[in-house]
Amino acid sequence: MIEQMFVKKKYLTAVSFYSKLPFVARDMPWFRQKGQAVMEKIVEQGLLYDFYGELLTEHQKNIYEDAVYNDMSLAEIAEEYGISRQGVHDLIKRCNKLLAGYEEKLQLVRKFTEAKKTIARIEMLAEEGKRMPEQACRERLDEIRRLTTGLMENF
Amino acid sequence: MVKIRLKRMGQKKAPFYRIVVSDSRSPRDGRFIEEIGTYDPKTEPSTIHVNEELAKKWLATGAQPTEAVEKILKIAGIEK
Repeated sequence: MIEQMFVKKKYLTAVSFYSKLPFVARDMPWFRQKGQAVMEKIVEQGLLYDFYGELLTEHQKNIYEDAVYNDMSLAEIAEEYGISRQGVHDLIKRCNKLLAGYEEKLQLVRKFTEAKKTIARIEMLAEEGKRMPEQACRERLDEIRRLTTGLMENF
Repeated sequence: MVKIRLKRMGQKKAPFYRIVVSDSRSPRDGRFIEEIGTYDPKTEPSTIHVNEELAKKWLATGAQPTEAVEKILKIAGIEK
């Protein structure tokens, strides 16, 4: 029902968020990258937090979640926790740096994103293969085999 | 103060956002006044749905969008 209410608008990005991510994570991510929209930064921070959030302290987790999951402003968070706006700012910056450091070493987000793309490709090949003559179907099966072999090499 | 902000939904590792109007004092308990759109960064390109009528209504009544929401509304072609 909600779908019908909305005016459909597409946001066209020249380079999609996912393909951009590894670079952003490697390059000082606590600064917004040139051309990266504000909401893309929130998405990126959220994804890094999904993977490495458990490595932060309880206090860091609470504040980072408020900033990244709930889109609260520095002033709102500062008031909520009774600390200064500068304090919140420094803490978030520090968390960004920590999370980016984990990604640099472990690359879980990159591997996850790549695996997701490969799986989508495999699913598409399998779906196509159903409606194809034997020869074309076999070619797809071969590619699926290659892809599944490659899939685990990342880990 | 009434604010328009992004609220992250969806599971871990599968981000999906609602654009919601909420009171600035109760953003964390999950309550919000109204949902005015969605933002899905998983698709390629990202998909933005905004209910233009509601967005304009809330902006006109002085609801303050966050920086991220402001950008999304701008992309959707809704200006203050």
